[in-house]
Amino acid sequence: MSNPNEATLIEKYASEVFAGLVAPLDGVEISALAVDDPLAKEDVLMRMNAELKRALEKSASERHWVMVIDLRHCVGCHACTVACIAENKLPPGVVYRPVMTEEVGTYPNVTMKFLPRPCMQCENSPCTEVCPVTATYHNEEGVVVVDYDQCIGCRACMAACPYGARTFDFGYNYAEQLPVFDGAVIGGKTAAGYEHASQEYGEARKRSGRHESPVGNVRKCHFCLHRIKDGMLPACTTTCIGRATYFGDANDPDSLVTELINKPNVIRLKEELGTEPRVYYVV
Amino acid sequence: MIKKITYAVGAMALLFGLWGVYIRLFQGEQSANYGSYIGWGLWVAMYLFLAGLAAGAYMLATLDYLFNVPQFKGMGKTMLWAALVTLPAGLASIGMDLGHMERIWKVYLEPNFTSFLALMVWGYTIFLILILISLYLALTQPDKKPMKIVMWIGFVVSILVAGGVGFLLGGNASRLFWHVGLLPVQFPVFAIASGAALMLLIVGWFMPALEEKQRGDLLWLLAIITIATSVAKLYFLFADLTQSLYGGATDNVIAIQYMLTGPHAFMFWGVQIVLGLVIPVFVLAQPKLAKNGFVAGLMGLFLMIGYAAARILIVVPGQVAEMMPGQAEAFHGPKLTLAYTPSLMEWSVTSAVMGFAILGILIGMDYLLGYLARFTEAKK
Repeated sequence: MSNPNEATLIEKYASEVFAGLVAPLDGVEISALAVDDPLAKEDVLMRMNAELKRALEKSASERHWVMVIDLRHCVGCHACTVACIAENKLPPGVVYRPVMTEEVGTYPNVTMKFLPRPCMQCENSPCTEVCPVTATYHNEEGVVVVDYDQCIGCRACMAACPYGARTFDFGYNYAEQLPVFDGAVIGGKTAAGYEHASQEYGEARKRSGRHESPVGNVRKCHFCLHRIKDGMLPACTTTCIGRATYFGDANDPDSLVTELINKPNVIRLKEELGTEPRVYYVV
Repeated sequence: MIKKITYAVGAMALLFGLWGVYIRLFQGEQSANYGSYIGWGLWVAMYLFLAGLAAGAYMLATLDYLFNVPQFKGMGKTMLWAALVTLPAGLASIGMDLGHMERIWKVYLEPNFTSFLALMVWGYTIFLILILISLYLALTQPDKKPMKIVMWIGFVVSILVAGGVGFLLGGNASRLFWHVGLLPVQFPVFAIASGAALMLLIVGWFMPALEEKQRGDLLWLLAIITIATSVAKLYFLFADLTQSLYGGATDNVIAIQYMLTGPHAFMFWGVQIVLGLVIPVFVLAQPKLAKNGFVAGLMGLFLMIGYAAARILIVVPGQVAEMMPGQAEAFHGPKLTLAYTPSLMEWSVTSAVMGFAILGILIGMDYLLGYLARFTEAKK
């Protein structure tokens, strides 16, 4: 374990990434890990998993799920986008967590900025307010969900969302153009079977036609509630190769997310709209 | 002759439209070009247009039944009938836009009254009922107190629903182009203008039997209303555009540039401004031309085409700015685009709606209103 002096030194003289390149000063050994860095204690996934289990022991209304995305760690790999699609069996044209990519600067000072954008799960959510039939609402844990059987498909929520976090399911399927080989384990039928078995909201819906929900509905990220229920972190969180996405209960004072969101370098998107997002960005 | 041509146009529009309606009902929305970024397209715009037309027609009917404007005498029934046809046409247009239109009953039985959309559905339903009652009273007891009371209620409701449509868009704080305080104020003005245009067409083309002096006076008064509302609309437009451009908020600038110089700039300059405003105002400002039935009817048609274009140019530009920078390129898939041109299927459905409205108004004027009047007279 490194001592506090080393930590102070590293914060002062070098970034975490380049710590190994800094020459020892006066014989002091420098470590890349700062003792007060919550990420340094153990793999954050292990910690978040433990915290998730702890949170699930409380009643639903006592939990306050938040997501924190450390933009300094995001490498723009889109693994979270793909994991989300695989987890929720999202059809073509439906995406819950795209990663916005922006090129910044002019040559030779050019860099890329990445911004993963799940649903912000706003506390003052414009989308729930405009829904004419309460098909989208906050569940007991404060997550904005969609009742596919209630949604009339008016897309008012899409128009109202300031983050563009909702997409409409027009009924496309990835497998629909594939050839079918009867009796074989490849081809359209097999692929379609996989594609249809969505576990969203724990409902195991089939995409059996062009009219049955969720076709004709607006869809959105729901923090993988079906995984959380079973003690698993959201798919985007577990697959993030840069450990840039953190998830947990903000009502737990000892949770990683609580530590992170109470730091000064944390922002939320479009704060001026008063939507009170539950997704925070470390910048 | 012109009526026969209009019947034929209406029938052909309906016939062509049936194809689109079939595709929409049995194959879904994939052949529409609206998507997840521009979620509201032609059908929503046509709903705004037709609902505004209905509200405007009702407002003009009050000039006969409530305010006793002599030029409008005897016109109330026709305008109420026009409202009765155009409102369901508008609702049909928005109905086709719903992903699950079979669940529309939920807005009545399980409504969320914090939703302005739900309030509008209720508002338009009440308005439709009021139109029906008004028409019934117009046929049975036009000069009695119940008629006045209902027309007053209907008058207020017509202003509210017309303004409500503006609020429906303007209430979205995240869409800067729509989020303008004046939008709910503008829409009732648009409604009166639309109603006057429709009446120019109806009186100019389909009411040659009207006593000549009244017809001339009425057309001239409608021309004046049109000029006044056009000037007001032009000022609203000028104020909106200059204020937004001067303010320079990115989303607003993108929306206005799309409107003025984007791929559909012709819709703005050619259809909304020249065809729908400059030509009609110039022509209708001349009493001799304004009192000519054919010319007045033609100007009414031009005006309505311009108003329909204006609705599209409110709905679509409000959605062309990315909600998050980089959104359009972040993920690719069908319907994930910021480009929008209505598909043939969308035009077809709109054609069906317009065909229904054209035939509905004509059949009503030629047969139903006369039949109903005789029927209620005989009953008495």
